Amino acid sequence: MNLSDLKLRLRALIARRRVERELDDELAFHIECETRKHIAAGVDPAEARARARARFGSPALVADECRDARGTAFVDSSARDVLYAFRALRRAPLAALTIIVTLGLGLGLVAVVFTFYNAIFLRADAVRNPAELFEARRAVSPGVTRVWVTLTRHDYDALRSDTDVFTHAAAMLPGIEARIEGRALDGTLVTRNFFQMVGAGAALGRPLQAADDERHAGRPVVVLSHRGWTKLFGNDSAVIGRPLVLNGVRTEIIGVMPPGFRGLAVSPPDFWAPLDLLDQFRQAMAGKEDAVAIEVVGRLKPGVSSEAATARLTAWASANPAMQEVNGRPKSMFLKPRQGTASVDLLDGLRRLAPLFFAFGLILLIGCANVANLLLARGIARQREIGVRLSLGASRMRIIRQLLTESLLLALAAAVCGFVILRLALNAGTYAAVNTLAPALAEQVSVAASAADWRVGVFLLCGAIVSTAFFGLVPALQATRPELVRTMRGEVTRDARPSRARNALIAVQVGASAALCICAAVFLRSALAAASVEPGLRTSDTVLVEIANESTRAAMLQAVNTDPAVAAVAASWPHGVGGENAVAKGWATLPVEHKFVSPEYFGLLDIHVVQGRVFTPQERSPGAGVAVVSQREARRLWPDRNAVGQVMELEAFERRGPARPGDEASTPQLPFRAFTVVGVVRDAWIGLGMFERIDAGVYLPISAQSPGTSLTLRVHGDPDQASRGLMERLAKVDPAIGGIGTMRAIAGRAAFILQTVFWLTAVLGILALVLTVSGLFSVLSYVVAQRSKEIGVRMALGARPRDIARLVLSQSARPVGAGLAVGALLAGSVATVLMATRAASGIAEIVHTFDAVAYAASLFCIVAACALAAWVPAMRAARIDPVATLRQD
Amino acid sequence: MARHAVPDLLPGTLDLLILRTLQTEPMHGWAISERIQQISEDVLQITQGSLYPALHRLEHQGWIEAEWKVSELGRRAKYYRLTATGRRQLAVEAGEWERMAGAIGRVMKLA
Repeated sequence: MNLSDLKLRLRALIARRRVERELDDELAFHIECETRKHIAAGVDPAEARARARARFGSPALVADECRDARGTAFVDSSARDVLYAFRALRRAPLAALTIIVTLGLGLGLVAVVFTFYNAIFLRADAVRNPAELFEARRAVSPGVTRVWVTLTRHDYDALRSDTDVFTHAAAMLPGIEARIEGRALDGTLVTRNFFQMVGAGAALGRPLQAADDERHAGRPVVVLSHRGWTKLFGNDSAVIGRPLVLNGVRTEIIGVMPPGFRGLAVSPPDFWAPLDLLDQFRQAMAGKEDAVAIEVVGRLKPGVSSEAATARLTAWASANPAMQEVNGRPKSMFLKPRQGTASVDLLDGLRRLAPLFFAFGLILLIGCANVANLLLARGIARQREIGVRLSLGASRMRIIRQLLTESLLLALAAAVCGFVILRLALNAGTYAAVNTLAPALAEQVSVAASAADWRVGVFLLCGAIVSTAFFGLVPALQATRPELVRTMRGEVTRDARPSRARNALIAVQVGASAALCICAAVFLRSALAAASVEPGLRTSDTVLVEIANESTRAAMLQAVNTDPAVAAVAASWPHGVGGENAVAKGWATLPVEHKFVSPEYFGLLDIHVVQGRVFTPQERSPGAGVAVVSQREARRLWPDRNAVGQVMELEAFERRGPARPGDEASTPQLPFRAFTVVGVVRDAWIGLGMFERIDAGVYLPISAQSPGTSLTLRVHGDPDQASRGLMERLAKVDPAIGGIGTMRAIAGRAAFILQTVFWLTAVLGILALVLTVSGLFSVLSYVVAQRSKEIGVRMALGARPRDIARLVLSQSARPVGAGLAVGALLAGSVATVLMATRAASGIAEIVHTFDAVAYAASLFCIVAACALAAWVPAMRAARIDPVATLRQD
Repeated sequence: MARHAVPDLLPGTLDLLILRTLQTEPMHGWAISERIQQISEDVLQITQGSLYPALHRLEHQGWIEAEWKVSELGRRAKYYRLTATGRRQLAVEAGEWERMAGAIGRVMKLA
């Protein structure tokens, strides 16, 4: 672009009217000159004018090309296109509304997935410049990032004082459990510069500060998250300065964080407390701070690349004598981006959400196909209008652009509608998650719901533009085909019906909805199969109670034993389902899980005796020297002989993971002695696939009085109600009561993921089917209306109504058939790919990817629905009165 | 645009003809078309409408400039004039054309 070009363009934009008038004058002048020339040659004035015009061509077209040449035509004509589009849409408001809602639904649903992506991986919370945040990790050996060596408090202190790659580096220790009145709180211990590092301010009071050490000497402080604040204080704004007793530590609340702030996690903890309080929260860790694994997250200094920082940190680690070498390998560090709340990079996140994007995208695809079909039909209805404009000299490009402008306007309106649908879907999702057994998921949904920010808006906008290309282009090309002009002129053309495009679109729709319905059916059958598998232990009326304070054990036992809701009591250690690791030496030496249980345990959980006996009421201590093994372990330990009567030794593994307060002294210990197997019991387990939890294989006797044991209760009536009542009554005995939960909830968690996937695919499948059926219905109705004259002729020539109905039905048969085949293929291949991923390995054994019944049932459903959709137009066609139709026009 | 060009005219030739016509004096659009037709002895008949988009394009390229002046008919008309860059462009294109025409001519004679 040169200077004169710029000058002319600017002038054309600013003084548009004047430039336009000049263009008209110039062209008029030419025709005037030409006319005069002819008149001078002796031609009649009218004839002269006509000749001049004929030689000149269409002035309007010339003017248009001149405008194109000056380069502002785009702006001008777009403005006119928008106006024209508004008028066109106003003429057919119902069609416009249908299109907007259909597309809005698709866009809104895809935006739901994007909102999750946004919330989890793009971190739409109150953290400043999250792209600068990196987690420092120590590699097992240079270049390896899959496994790493944990850092300790000492490493962190050294890193802070010896390196300068971070402006701030904070350490954190998530997953600190605390209990207040029986409610479990989740806390994160952080260094005092944590909030300064992430750059977040408090909503009430203030966050932790580096100066907290001096100011609150001897007075521990705590900052609540918005969630914790709501949970504990019901959003009471007068909490600042109030005391809060956490795990027996009296702390003072100094601040409440804003609702969007989630720390560096997907869902926020309930509170943040200084890392220095670790020894008070976990008494067992007093004096052993260097054994606790912490995360070190820092904000990279501006201008320092992550590669340079990695190199400097590695150099620092190599020169740091305090760091232990691992297997003699050189010490090295690496950085992991902490932009997202999950510690994965953006692309990986996208890959993980790809199945969801795909499933929700199919709905958008079906919607686009529906709209494209509607536009195709409208294109034919507007054939005359478009033909006239083409005949008047409008170029094909120009009309296509105008039609696309119309489509884009619709898509933008649909994006707005999509935003509304997004909000509705998120709220419905939150509601559904809260009211089912998925509080953890509810958390994530509400996190996402609060994180719908400008990025989601941009996403919707881009989605609208991309889908315009999907649904608008084919109809625009079809509607402006050059044959149309000839049709306008009355020439007979072979075929102006866009039936091929239409059929392809129907096939796409049927294919997409078939894929979704098949997936839904496969998951439904899997969920049903999972539900029908009997758990290996009694879950219907079992409540688990943890005892938090050993000093109250006797009082707690008393309270439980006399509680009217409790039918039976058993004790066990460890808590819940499953055991502790040990090595068993029987005939073979094998790792096993062992569990200390009281004699009542087996009867209470319906773990039947297969052989021998269980513990007698007198056998209440491991010292009794007796053991009960499960069928599975019996087979493993004594493959060729009867387990009952055999003798084995058990040796405890070293305990893994950080210890909990008071663990060592107050849990049952394995005595160094031999155990005689007195009985074999059925295997006990709950859950399926990756959520399967197998109870211990070796049981040793214990009594409820033993410290560390938890209680397993059988209750009367509904276990949820019973556990609520127990919670109230037991809180009177010990306000810092341990956790109370139902076995049903633990078991439910296992079936939960399958159910979620099923419900998701079911809802999507039904939506897809509804969209497809409505699309098919409207297309066939339209075809019948369009061909009514032809049908009239056929009937006049003797076709029976039955033949006509068959004609209409057969019209839809081929695309539906093709769609079904494509859909089945798609579902099969996508499912195969998905089940091959690591994430799905846990449910692979439950889900039968090629479930013939599921395939047949969903294909049948679709065929039935399509037949129904075709039936009404077919009947309408069969009822056409030949005389009436032939008289039309 | 192609469909409005004279089929026999090679692409780009119209620009060359316009520039060459304007070399002698500033002219308005109709005069340009008349001149081309006259000098070519009616061999080159331009669909007159196609002249204007070309003129506007050349104007945007900075090879010609326009000025409104009162014409011989007593009406205001838009006169186009060759600019310095236009003159250079004409020299380049004319040279190209000569080379091309000469080459084609030689092939026609000998082949």
